[in-house]
Amino acid sequence: MYTYKSGIAQIDQISGGFDAGTNILILAPPMSLGDQLAYALTRPLTGEYAIILSTNERAAEVVDAFKLAGADKRFTGVIDAITKSSTPTIVDTPRLMFVSSPTDLTGIGIKFSNMIETIFEGDFSDGEAGLFPPPIRFCVNSISTLLMYRRLEVLYQFLHVLTAKLKKIEGVGVYLLNSESFDEKTLSLIKQLMTCVIEIKVEQNVNFLRIRGITGVSGDWIKFQVTKGQVVILP
Amino acid sequence: MISTGVNGLDEMLGRGIPQGSRVLYSLEPGANGQLFMISTLSCALARGHSCMVIFPNTTVDAYRNDAARMYGAHLDLTSGPVTFLDAIDRERIGKSAGSAEARAREWKARIQKLCHDHKVTVIFVYFDLLYEEFGLETAMEILESAQEGAGGMKVTIILEHLNLEGAPLLERFIRDLSFDFVLAIRSSFRPFPNFNYFTLVHTSWGPVPVRSLPFIIAEGRVIPYIPRIVVTGPANSGKSTFVMNAADEGHSIDRQESDGGSTTVALDFGWLRWKDFDITLYGTPGHTRFDPLMPPYLRHAMGAIVVIDATKPEMLPRARHIISMIEKRRIAYAIAANKNDMPGVMSAGEIREGLGIGEDIPVFPISATKKADVHSVLESLVASITQFSN
Repeated sequence: MYTYKSGIAQIDQISGGFDAGTNILILAPPMSLGDQLAYALTRPLTGEYAIILSTNERAAEVVDAFKLAGADKRFTGVIDAITKSSTPTIVDTPRLMFVSSPTDLTGIGIKFSNMIETIFEGDFSDGEAGLFPPPIRFCVNSISTLLMYRRLEVLYQFLHVLTAKLKKIEGVGVYLLNSESFDEKTLSLIKQLMTCVIEIKVEQNVNFLRIRGITGVSGDWIKFQVTKGQVVILP
Repeated sequence: MISTGVNGLDEMLGRGIPQGSRVLYSLEPGANGQLFMISTLSCALARGHSCMVIFPNTTVDAYRNDAARMYGAHLDLTSGPVTFLDAIDRERIGKSAGSAEARAREWKARIQKLCHDHKVTVIFVYFDLLYEEFGLETAMEILESAQEGAGGMKVTIILEHLNLEGAPLLERFIRDLSFDFVLAIRSSFRPFPNFNYFTLVHTSWGPVPVRSLPFIIAEGRVIPYIPRIVVTGPANSGKSTFVMNAADEGHSIDRQESDGGSTTVALDFGWLRWKDFDITLYGTPGHTRFDPLMPPYLRHAMGAIVVIDATKPEMLPRARHIISMIEKRRIAYAIAANKNDMPGVMSAGEIREGLGIGEDIPVFPISATKKADVHSVLESLVASITQFSN
């Protein structure tokens, strides 16, 4: 079974990375490195693919962020849930797909399936071939925005299907949630869908992360930053 | 009658949907079924029905563009007799009315006015957000208020809904709300091929059996097809017997061999009804000279069964070659290890090793002469394709 490198030595040295089928929740406060960490964990390595469901940034911005982090854009796809509201005529491509708004869970589900199928069919990367079966990293940025538009119970059911599908295709999922905007019930319900939780806190402008749910990996707070898509652990 | 725009489906319904019906297109997450609603809307407009479309999660422009791209140029949502309530209306209603009761009243007032002004006879509703905001009963009350605006004419209501609750929600539509036609649009949970199918769950106007059909989308049309399972394997492994014992009806095209036995020279055909699917079984000839026929047989197949003779380890390399053709098409398959009631059979482990397959591929020790054995293989294969499990 494929193992996804995390780029975090504390994980990769002990378990080799994330097992296929792992779903990771990043609980991060506003103004932290939460989204950068999510993108760093989603950045496709050679032969891998990435799909980002973006409710906060336009597809072009997401692709730029991944390019800056050194990702090959031919292996990076975006499901954009914001551009269509201002540009209704925008047209899907194999790697850039658009849904009308973050409320449109029907559209999100269909585009997700379509993009996965496109990857499996080999029509995703302009003729370039990755590994097969394709290792796929999937990122939801962010659950917080989806929760602004849809009820928790509905979103829970939807994410239940999405996380299960990701297990089925032996991908890895990264889901970003604002740790300060939601009550304990919301956090605990979303955590139920996850295999692993990475918490982030910020003290005196320094970001710390704590990893929960990976056997053998310490749950201590560690200082970190993200530079050009790489997670750097600070002393 | 209002046509669904899906040929096979209209025939199953008896020419389409009767005027005044309550219709639900229930979509499972990921199932590519939005074209059912769009194609029914297109047919209703083409027949001159005055339509209203309610889509609270997008704008008119985005909806028109999506619909035109999905369905093609035949759908005219700019000059046809159609009116809309969209995300902007929803936002205005939310701002102008504080309580849920007030919002429901405002929705009713707007729907009634539009129905009255435009003499609407068919309403198409993307139901998710109304259901989430008001609950099932109140959301349906809002839509039923269209009758009052229609001046006594029976308005047809057609919903598309993302069903995250499964069969219990369908039951509520049928039992509590007396819906006339419920169609569940589903997809397999296999990543590839992403196999979409619809199940005709309920109709109020005739004894239509529950029935499932896979479909593809091509040239802006939903095209149902008869699901196919390919039964293949080395020569003389028992494929014809398997097909004949699996099928409700079947036919084999055989030729006498020089040793007095017979071999399949074209195809074994079988038809059976299984798990709401009408399945066609294609039994392939096992000799290598027929290998060029395999790719067309495997095209659009929902699954494959590789029948091997469990007493003949020397045939495993040939079976392995056949498996490689199936794996190339990434089709779900299972191994039926036939003649399990004979002496000297290989164990499942030996078969796996000989075929080079992992634990994820099921191996069934069977006797193809026993219907129960054959059906257990089919059941497992169909379940693995259509059902979801964590």
